[in-house]
Amino acid sequence: MTLTIASATVGLLGGCVDVHSSSIRGTGYVRIGDVIKHHPMYAQLSQLDDGIAAIDLAAAAPRVPLSAAQIARETGQLNRELRDAQLRANKILAQKQQDYSTRERQAISAALAAAGVNGNGQLDAAQMSNTSAQQAQQAAAAANQDFMAYQQSVVAQDNAASTAIARQLQTQEAEKMRAKAEQLQQNETDLSLRLTQDDATQRLAIKTRLSNLALDDATRKQLVSQLAALNSKETAAIDAQRRADAATLSAYRAQLDSQTGAAVRAQVGAIAGQTQAKITERRNEVGAQLRTLGPPALPTTLPPGVRDKIAAIHRQFTGQFQAEAQKTIGDYTATKNDLDRQFAALHGADVGATGAAAKELAALQKRRDALYKEIVDQIMREATRIAKDRGFSIVFENIAQAEGGYDLTNDLIKDVESQHE
Amino acid sequence: MSIRSVPFLTIAALLLAALVAPQAIAADLTDVGFVDQAELASIPVFTNANRALAAYKSQLDGQYNAALRHAGSDADRQRISLQFQQQFSDKQREIVGPLFQRAQLAIAQVSAAHNLSVVVDKRIVIYGGQDITKDVETLFLGPQSIQPPAASPPPSEIGYVDQTVLDNLPKVKTANDEMNQFATTQRTLFAPRVAGAKTQADRQQIYQEFNKTVNDKQDQLLKPLVDETKHATSDVAAKKKLLLVLDRADVIYGGTDITADVQNELSK
Repeated sequence: MTLTIASATVGLLGGCVDVHSSSIRGTGYVRIGDVIKHHPMYAQLSQLDDGIAAIDLAAAAPRVPLSAAQIARETGQLNRELRDAQLRANKILAQKQQDYSTRERQAISAALAAAGVNGNGQLDAAQMSNTSAQQAQQAAAAANQDFMAYQQSVVAQDNAASTAIARQLQTQEAEKMRAKAEQLQQNETDLSLRLTQDDATQRLAIKTRLSNLALDDATRKQLVSQLAALNSKETAAIDAQRRADAATLSAYRAQLDSQTGAAVRAQVGAIAGQTQAKITERRNEVGAQLRTLGPPALPTTLPPGVRDKIAAIHRQFTGQFQAEAQKTIGDYTATKNDLDRQFAALHGADVGATGAAAKELAALQKRRDALYKEIVDQIMREATRIAKDRGFSIVFENIAQAEGGYDLTNDLIKDVESQHE
Repeated sequence: MSIRSVPFLTIAALLLAALVAPQAIAADLTDVGFVDQAELASIPVFTNANRALAAYKSQLDGQYNAALRHAGSDADRQRISLQFQQQFSDKQREIVGPLFQRAQLAIAQVSAAHNLSVVVDKRIVIYGGQDITKDVETLFLGPQSIQPPAASPPPSEIGYVDQTVLDNLPKVKTANDEMNQFATTQRTLFAPRVAGAKTQADRQQIYQEFNKTVNDKQDQLLKPLVDETKHATSDVAAKKKLLLVLDRADVIYGGTDITADVQNELSK
């Protein structure tokens, strides 16, 4: 009754909840996760999420252990791919350097012409700028090439070291397995011998009695049966021992695989860490060298305004080149990281998806992120509009618990759904 | 006006007054501020500090891997790991600590100046609230030293719980550990099946089967605890007359901490 009157009165007051009441006080909240589930594009999002999770799950499957020869072969292939990626990145960087250098020279010439610096002055400035840019370009190219060569040699050396360690540890494992198998085989032979010795007296007695031609049929049958029982007992005991040995051998193999895997991972991880540290150190050195390459030296006869203008042009082109170079280096780094992970996977490390699966995963993740952003942005826009229309002071998302305030989730769900009907 | 209509109008007026009066005196919550932490983190002094920290980490990683090579046992590896973690934490405190402290003081000062009872991260505010990011940034970048405000923030009707503390309660931790163990085992069982699936549809179907298995276990193991925590939080919030309760991770300054009370409720 009270509720009916209250509802009627609230309806009378404005057709919706009073957001300034003592229990709401202009405060709202939205459970975004719930709204997303009602968004018309949620099915697509969910499908992408499932696809991503399925690739992740598949990547967790144990890999079939590879032989040392297979590891060496695949390592060689990975190294070739890494070299190709380095060459590609170098080529793109050199081309970009050339393009930006040409454009910078043209821009400087135009600036000098606009400033009325003609003839020898322009020639001098352009030539000095050109010479300086060429020197910087040559220095950068040389430093870059040196760095790439260094990186290639360090990676190749460390890959070789890792492969050698893996091979050595796998050989040790194979030797241990062979020794264990031989020991178990010896045990089976010993057991067989012991059983034969244990039953020898009884067996001889039976056989002696069986050799008596005057034996009646019933007794003969009984003795044959006793002999068969003895054989069967021995066979059963040996079979049981064999089954137990097979289980022991299998458990031992699993234990050795695990130990070898851990040892290989530890060693390869340590080597990879050292490789990375060496490369980072050299990269920092090269970076420091390149940073010392200053702007082009210009003739002192140029007016200060023109000098400033040329310096600004240099900064602008350097900045643009660095941004583009960064992207190329980023692409190369992504390829290198994936190859590193494939290399680690070769040595038994659990590194998640690699190669084609990693590419598929990245593509799905990109689509998923874009779709998620689109959905959330739309929900946020609608939430903001509703909050503004209804006069809320503040609206939160994803709170832990509400004792007051107004839950806008259902209003938002209806709103989002109605827009796509 | 007829005699009969007088009482009706009186009742209607009283009813209206009764409903309107509390609403008229209840003020909207206006003492909530927010800071865009992502914007603060992009201030050059922070990005430089993070870059320095990343360089230190890269150097430390090399030393760590080298040290691991000489570890003879799991205990050695654990000791080395702890030692390097400690080294990194120390460096982090050294490089980022003073900056973080200055940012905290700037937030406290600006909050006091705006008379805010709580400041949250921008990412949880959809609409409204007072954006104090620019003021904090200006104060932070200023040359002067920043003193803590004279008074602590006023009592807030916005509460918060530290979920990491609740996650460490023995019964919650045990359930979480069991759940993780179960999920790991299921991954081991399902992974080869997904990897060996012939078609995309098969892969999806196996993944959904895996998902259902894990979700069912989650409902069985964790849902009762989640519900219990919600009830406990709700009880405490009601007793303390809080309007909303947030996660500690989203609260930057002020607010009413009810973690200990919720912890006590859950331990009963």
